[in-house]
Amino acid sequence: MTAPIGEAAGSRREVVSLNRRLLVVAAVVLVAFLGLTGSILDNAFRQSLEQAQQDRLQGTLYTILAAADLTASGLRLPHALPDSRLSTPGSGLYARVIDEHGEIWRSPSLLGLPWEPEQRLAPGDTRFQRELAGDQPLYTLAYGLSWEDAGGKEWTLTVHVAEDLTSYQAQLSAFRRSLWGWLGAASAVLLATQLLVLRWSLLPLRRVAADLRAIEEGRAELLHGRYPAEILGLTQGLNALLSSERRRARRYQETLANLAHSLKTPLAVLRGALDRLPEAPPEALEQIARIDAAVDYQLRRAAAAAPETLAAPLPVKPVLERLLQTLRKAYPDKTLDCELRSSGEPVFYGSEGDLMELLGNLLDNAFKWGRQRLRVSITPLAAGPGGRRGLRLEVEDDGPGIRPEQAQLVLERGRRADEQVPGHGIGLAVVAELVSAFQGTIAVDRGELGGALFRIELPAA
Amino acid sequence: MRLLVVEDEPLLREQLAQRLRAAGYAVDTAVDGEEGLYFGREYPVDLAVIDLGLPKLPGIDLIQRLRAEDKRFPILILTARGRWQDKVLGLEAGADDYLVKPFEMEELLARVAALLRRAAGFARPVLCFGPISLDTRSQQVQIDGRPLELTAFEYRLLEYLMFHPGEVISKATLTEHLYQEDQDRDSNTIEVFIGRLRKKLDPDNRLQPIETLRGRGYRFALAPPK
Repeated sequence: MTAPIGEAAGSRREVVSLNRRLLVVAAVVLVAFLGLTGSILDNAFRQSLEQAQQDRLQGTLYTILAAADLTASGLRLPHALPDSRLSTPGSGLYARVIDEHGEIWRSPSLLGLPWEPEQRLAPGDTRFQRELAGDQPLYTLAYGLSWEDAGGKEWTLTVHVAEDLTSYQAQLSAFRRSLWGWLGAASAVLLATQLLVLRWSLLPLRRVAADLRAIEEGRAELLHGRYPAEILGLTQGLNALLSSERRRARRYQETLANLAHSLKTPLAVLRGALDRLPEAPPEALEQIARIDAAVDYQLRRAAAAAPETLAAPLPVKPVLERLLQTLRKAYPDKTLDCELRSSGEPVFYGSEGDLMELLGNLLDNAFKWGRQRLRVSITPLAAGPGGRRGLRLEVEDDGPGIRPEQAQLVLERGRRADEQVPGHGIGLAVVAELVSAFQGTIAVDRGELGGALFRIELPAA
Repeated sequence: MRLLVVEDEPLLREQLAQRLRAAGYAVDTAVDGEEGLYFGREYPVDLAVIDLGLPKLPGIDLIQRLRAEDKRFPILILTARGRWQDKVLGLEAGADDYLVKPFEMEELLARVAALLRRAAGFARPVLCFGPISLDTRSQQVQIDGRPLELTAFEYRLLEYLMFHPGEVISKATLTEHLYQEDQDRDSNTIEVFIGRLRKKLDPDNRLQPIETLRGRGYRFALAPPK
């Protein structure tokens, strides 16, 4: 079977299909857009998390200061600290207070953690940052203040509080999971929608292709689907072209038939008139024969439709059967044993008239010269890029055969019809003409049966 | 043998009719497909010669109509186009043979004779009944290998009888199939022709090939070919 029209064009030069183009562009845009959105949201959330972290540390810092008692001997905090995590080693929340000389208080939770910030800030300054204590990342907040103790002594203190990233990371990864999960789901849905939209929008084009295939296969005459406005112009134009082409072909054949009738009938009259004479002048008869042969040859040549672009594949065997029946009727006294050799269901891409002309003339020749046997071989050849297979037709008989020096003359195309080899009408020249219109080859040989073997090969397309 | 010629070109129609009549056939002519159909229906046609390019009713349609009405006489197509498609369509419509214009009259006569012979059920061109042999190709009759001089009408009469061996054929049937429409249709003339034929075929009255069945007709009485 023929390949779909789109594929036929695509296989010659790799052209990306419309479907793929639109899908690729849509996917790229979608991924870029969603990726950008995702990273902006991610960034914003991280910043807000850090802000929240800073606020929390600030809060912890204030509660520590509120609970603290500054005396001449230093900073004292109650045994039960305001946040119990400060009392538990490794809890993740830490605090350290330093003055100009060194540490004056550290939270019990700092036990075993190598975190000893020495930075001193001017009163009123805060610094929020992320740093490493050993290998543990921490968010830290430092705050400078001056505090007058009960004895009136002015202390310049810097309070450091820190929290590890456990809660930050837990919140961040929870957010990221849901963010990217939803974005992924959204892009899948969007892509699927895009795919459906594409399929739906390109449906009319696929229908055009299917309709054309139906025409090619002879199942339809015209594109008869209903098409959207965008391609209506195209399909209407195609339909107009198809029907005008058909009308033209029909008119052409009718004109040829009329021409044949109006040329041949007067010739027949002339011929009949000459027949009535007691002695017909031979040159007159000869001239009539010449006109007749020339008219016949040219008309049959003109009638050869040649390969059609949208020709339905025509099964060869039924046409062959019809021709054989016709010939058996026309040669009732010849009882030729006809052997058919074929494989599969060979098809011919062209009009029935042309196939009949090809096979009919060869078979007629075989009936004329064959004695007892006749063999027809039909072999499908390899398919071409358009999916159309070539075809080999062979007709052979057990007659006297054709001498090699005559073979060329018999098949010579476009030769003056009045110079035909005696015994071979213009039929074989018509065959040669048709074969050349189909860009095929024809050869004459001596076959296994002993007579002439005509071999026609029509190319794949 | 009564022939129907359907041809729209007057000159060709006239030539065909004249030539066929000269060969001893009774010929009716029709100028278009509809007239052809009328004659085909109403007349005892033995064979029709039909041009494919006819006005009113195309030749192919005419043949199909005739066959649909169970007219079985052989049909010879005349076609201007030598295309195989036309030949195949013509023969599939029910015709028996085709001839491409222009043709030689001799060729036409040979085809007509062959079609009539085969329609009568004879596979070979020479009919042999005892010592009488009739060659449908050369239209020669021989008795014991000795050629016999017959007029065209006498030949058709003998041929008609020999095409229906053993059958009783009435004078009316013979008149219908052998006489031209405008000819004197007095059935007594048939008796005259039968008498002449008998004299030529059987001068010593020994063979008696044609029997007379009083009030019923004639019968060709020799043994059919084996």
